[in-house]
Amino acid sequence: MDTTLSDTQRLLRESLRDYLANEVPFDRIRELEREGGADQALWEYLAGAGFLALPFAEAHGGEGGELTDTAVVLEELTRRACIIPFLETTASALAIERHGAEALAEEVVRGVISGAVTIAPALQGSTPANGASPRVESGALTGERRFVDYGADVTHHLVEATEDGEPGLYLVETTAEGVTAESLSTIARTPLAQCTYEGAPARRAGGAEALQFLRRAGRALCAVQCLGNAQQALDMTVEYVGMRVQFGRPIGSFQAVQHHCANMATQTLSARFLVYQSVWRLDQGIASDRQIAKAKALASRAGTEVTMQAHILFGGIGYTEEYDLHFFSRHGKERALAWGSAEECLRVAADTLDEVQPWQ
Amino acid sequence: MEFGWNEELEAFRDEVRAFLDEFDTPALRHELANRGEAAQLGPEQSRLRESLEERGWVRMCWPEELGGEGKSQWFQFVMTEEFAKREIPYGSGFGTMVGPAIHRFGTEAQREKYLPGIWANDITICLGYSEPNAGTDLAALETLAVKDGDDWLINGQKLWTSAADTASHVWLACRTDPDAPKHRGISTFIVPMDTPGISVRPIMTMSGGRTNEVFFEDVRVPSDALIGEVNQGWYIIANALDHERVWIGAGGGLRHIFDRLMAHIREKRPELLEDDVVRRRLVELELDLDVMEGLVLTNASIVAAGDTPTMEASMSKIWTSELRYHISNVAMDLLGHEGALTEEADGFAPLDGELERTYRASPIQRFGGGANEVQRDIIARRGLGLPR
Repeated sequence: MDTTLSDTQRLLRESLRDYLANEVPFDRIRELEREGGADQALWEYLAGAGFLALPFAEAHGGEGGELTDTAVVLEELTRRACIIPFLETTASALAIERHGAEALAEEVVRGVISGAVTIAPALQGSTPANGASPRVESGALTGERRFVDYGADVTHHLVEATEDGEPGLYLVETTAEGVTAESLSTIARTPLAQCTYEGAPARRAGGAEALQFLRRAGRALCAVQCLGNAQQALDMTVEYVGMRVQFGRPIGSFQAVQHHCANMATQTLSARFLVYQSVWRLDQGIASDRQIAKAKALASRAGTEVTMQAHILFGGIGYTEEYDLHFFSRHGKERALAWGSAEECLRVAADTLDEVQPWQ
Repeated sequence: MEFGWNEELEAFRDEVRAFLDEFDTPALRHELANRGEAAQLGPEQSRLRESLEERGWVRMCWPEELGGEGKSQWFQFVMTEEFAKREIPYGSGFGTMVGPAIHRFGTEAQREKYLPGIWANDITICLGYSEPNAGTDLAALETLAVKDGDDWLINGQKLWTSAADTASHVWLACRTDPDAPKHRGISTFIVPMDTPGISVRPIMTMSGGRTNEVFFEDVRVPSDALIGEVNQGWYIIANALDHERVWIGAGGGLRHIFDRLMAHIREKRPELLEDDVVRRRLVELELDLDVMEGLVLTNASIVAAGDTPTMEASMSKIWTSELRYHISNVAMDLLGHEGALTEEADGFAPLDGELERTYRASPIQRFGGGANEVQRDIIARRGLGLPR
């Protein structure tokens, strides 16, 4: 048991933090928001510096690292509000590599590591009225998926679809005929799409196991993003209230402000343990839907409540477009909803209450 | 990062479990159930305690210079957890807090005089800290110790001195320099409770437990009752309080309450589980317990890595103490009027009255051991670095 970062993780975090501080100013994020799309330059850097290779098997050209290493990287990217399909691509490729079609794994993973392949999962969402369920017949995919993160900005979709009544994952090239992706605008201003497949060529990438892993990985890693947003808002708040002077003293010296900060810090650290525990368990193959749902519920709340409390303590300056705080409150809320909101996740836990074992 | 246990610790856990299988007898259970507030251990508990000492398990994780084996703190954690699962106490109350202080700040003669007795629980200790005018602001304490020849003469009053009626000794904080700044004029003493001039008056609390006020009238103690240097007391106390915070933070009992609540509902009130709202509230409680476990393990990780948790220890203290109230409150609410029944209610009370007992006893966890407001100050100032 050790909840502290390993030396490798510390190194990964520091080097990425330095790079992002120097090379990805928040005005770059504003530019991407205006123009739409993902940060291609950053993606190329991540590929070149080996960040994309971390969790994959050495046999496929990966680093064979822990999934928590990747989570540390994801948290750092979140703390800079980066707009890239890192979670989506990593979770998809891992699902194929670990539980999917062996024939595809090498090709997909090598493609991802090189930076050439990006993948968006297009799964059955929990929101109803999800359009016509995708079906595959003779290698052709037909149907709709809504709420596909980066759906219009990636090279591939990994689509949940049925074939002969059996659920599975199917890899589709987004440039193929019959694939359309229409952008949906969200509070985060990050890419989201509604996708339609009309006889699109699809290769089977995995069955029920791969699908289950992808759902779990997406939810656990999305919890990391929630946590990253909370941590960033907390750190910005602590810095700001420590220097903002009113009534002749820093407002961070007032006990009411201090106690808000203490509560924000407690909520963030509380989520941190459960979130990284989920990622670690997933990596070890001992995760449960229930445990991941609970972690995501907690992280969703932290990502929302801590970031909004930050706004209250910042006052007017944090409310402006030119200040950077809104990236984290908007991303925090959107990530709180993605891959299962707190409410949806708590429902999962409540439906499986029978799984609770006495402490022994 | 690692969220599992290595083989060495798993093996040790098995060893502790086997040990507990041996000692967890009906005789021990009977003794614990009928122990009341006695400070002395009964024969079964003493047997268990001696056997623990023989194995060297009590102080195995202490640094070698404090008489330990310097093992990883995880061993202590695993042992504490296994004892907590069975609800069998193994510590000797405040001795685990004062013992290290005597070891660290006392003379060789004082160590020999007190430590074996403390470890064997022959010497039991109450804490003489709070006073009528020194609560959260402990450094304002006024009980005066004046040098009189080779002796010290002590006059004053202590308050909320739990176990003063049963303990053999009091660990006493006195003012020894009224002219110095308040943190620099305090010294710590260890004083036998049967010393002439000490009188104890009971104060009953709403938890049903007893605490006391203790009066010191011309209490004469020899010079070796002083532990550490004169006026070094605040430093020694602050050191010991750190231990107390972690100690109170251990909230294993709350898991048992949740488990017994689940068992009660499943057996006696299954209709509640048909209600989605009830299920959700139970899940919320479970999540709060998960957070508690996470904070405890986060603290333990920091200690095991050789660092001292500050803000994390305070977070754990706040969370656990507030959860003690919250879990009993929600559980009573879910059960409705039967939640109000006490253990005297002829066997009708859910969980044998544990819910209402916990609810009544919960305030002290929040204001005691460093009030939660002070803990939040610590998180903000010491942890986050906010200005005074």
